[in-house]
Amino acid sequence: MERILKKFFELTANPYGSLAEWKEKNKKKVIGCYPMQLPEEIIHAAGMLPVIIWRSNEPVTMGHAHIAPFNCGLTRSFVDDAVKGKLSFLDGVVFYRMCLQAQSLPFIIERNACPSYMEYLYLPALYPGASIRDYLIEEFERLKKSLEEFGGQEITVQSLNRSISVYNRNRRLLAEVYALRREKPGLIKGREMQAIVNSSMLMPKEEHNRLLEELIPELKKRSPADQKVRVVIYGGLCQTVQPEVLDLIESLGMVIVDDDMYVGSRYFANEVEASEKPVESLANRYLKKLPPCPTKGDWETDWTDYVIEIVKRNKAQGVITMLVKFCPPHLCYYPDLKRKFAEHGIPEVLIELEHEVISLEQTRTRLQSFIEIIGGV
Amino acid sequence: MSLMVAGVDIGSLCTKTVILSAERKILSFNILRSGAVYRGAAESSLNEALKTLGFNIKDLKYVVSTGYGRARVPFADAEVTEITCHARGANYFFPEVRTVIDIGGQDSKVIRVNETGQAVRFVMNDKCAAGTGRFLEVMAGALGVDLEEMSEIALYAHEDIEVSSTCTVFAESEIISLLAGGYEKREIAAAIYKAIARRITGLTGQIGLVEKVAMTGGVAKSGGVVRALEKKLGVALLIPPEPQIVGACGAALIAREKALP
Repeated sequence: MERILKKFFELTANPYGSLAEWKEKNKKKVIGCYPMQLPEEIIHAAGMLPVIIWRSNEPVTMGHAHIAPFNCGLTRSFVDDAVKGKLSFLDGVVFYRMCLQAQSLPFIIERNACPSYMEYLYLPALYPGASIRDYLIEEFERLKKSLEEFGGQEITVQSLNRSISVYNRNRRLLAEVYALRREKPGLIKGREMQAIVNSSMLMPKEEHNRLLEELIPELKKRSPADQKVRVVIYGGLCQTVQPEVLDLIESLGMVIVDDDMYVGSRYFANEVEASEKPVESLANRYLKKLPPCPTKGDWETDWTDYVIEIVKRNKAQGVITMLVKFCPPHLCYYPDLKRKFAEHGIPEVLIELEHEVISLEQTRTRLQSFIEIIGGV
Repeated sequence: MSLMVAGVDIGSLCTKTVILSAERKILSFNILRSGAVYRGAAESSLNEALKTLGFNIKDLKYVVSTGYGRARVPFADAEVTEITCHARGANYFFPEVRTVIDIGGQDSKVIRVNETGQAVRFVMNDKCAAGTGRFLEVMAGALGVDLEEMSEIALYAHEDIEVSSTCTVFAESEIISLLAGGYEKREIAAAIYKAIARRITGLTGQIGLVEKVAMTGGVAKSGGVVRALEKKLGVALLIPPEPQIVGACGAALIAREKALP
């Protein structure tokens, strides 16, 4: 078990080396993907390795000549890596209209990382009706065709369904790990959980599945830490959060029972249905309204209701907002979330996360005051 | 003496101690500059407070530490955050208070308090020291006056000017430019207080202003800040006789609860 977790930690701490090594060994192409919404299965079916772009451990330096310091950590760090030449192992990058901050990146990446393949998808941000579904299917077909041309390998219904099934298996296994934590909070540390999900974004799913199958029975043998104040964390919509903050939450006497985070339960939510028309199935997954995504305009579902449901289901005593600094989609919804948590009597605390700086002492005071409010002194 | 407890608040600038009796009476208190050695400051401040009573640490039944140095006080029986302590302390002085504005040496907080003195919600300033005691000290230094003098001269300001409220270092440069531009110190001093009031009003807006409102922390001793804040918020602020010891007092009250459940 420790061996597998160590592998996950090593990979997530330094994906560059591991990916370059994997590429060299397997003679396959590595494609960087914008987080959240892309159908990785199509890239997988093209015989390439899709990886979700990540935040490095380094402060942004040269990248600031190309991107404003008031962009989020992920976009700044990705640009910085490109400018520093750290992304040379990427054969291609697939972008889409993710958020305002990410829109200018393709130009910078094209100039500085010079990947052989680049594709930009126009994924619909609204759900006005059936025409959107048709449009989305066309967009996914376009991606499929361009990947076939780039890779020189046809993507058949069978090969795409095979990839879907590998991805679904991964979703099911990750869901199983989450169920274990819900059942016995404290069984898996916050930083471990983040590494478990993050590593899935950075290695072949077949290998991740094998490792999870080995890991799950071992995790079951662990004994959970003492029952403490149960909390749900949410936020970090497209990127990891500093593991030090997760450690701090736990060291102050809280236990994370569940989350609504991208490098968390959002990543494996919703399986893709097996069908004769796999591209349509992938489009159907994209059009699912839960988990609600603040980068997609949908007036029928309420993000707060979704988080409150997670809180209630897990009998959590409070919510911790993990707000990535300069994330407009999250910031836009935050006042609403904050107000509704208060209306429902759910204690909530805001932790703002920035790429370079985390003022751990201040964060400690915030979190400790939060637990004093929930649990008394 | 039947029972004595203490609260020690190790802040970024000063360390404060309050010694409390079983009857919740403040027996003595002490305020000391923290310096670089938090442990030494906590011990010295506590010893000073005890000395006036003729006792020593062994006579204390329970000690609660609070403030930024709270985790590093070896003789403390428990550590509690300054947010909880200021809420409790403000409730001790003014039970009717529902909003506490605490401006200390390096941070500022607005806390919603219930009728029992428990913190219900809070907001804190983020990274910068703008709108804190340190900000005031830096600005007074730039003006070449002491804190009391700065508060005094601001009363005589005629012209309305603005200073940035977002960054201490930038605000200091602005003051130097204003001085070079021929502005009087009194106008600049008034602008500094307004900048703090603007900053705190922003924080208060996130929690909502529910009366009555108390102000605690060392900065509550600055008449200039209090006047500017009252004007901006449109409410009268309740200020304890020694606002700097409210956190330590809250810690001592919690110590008393722990010692006498």
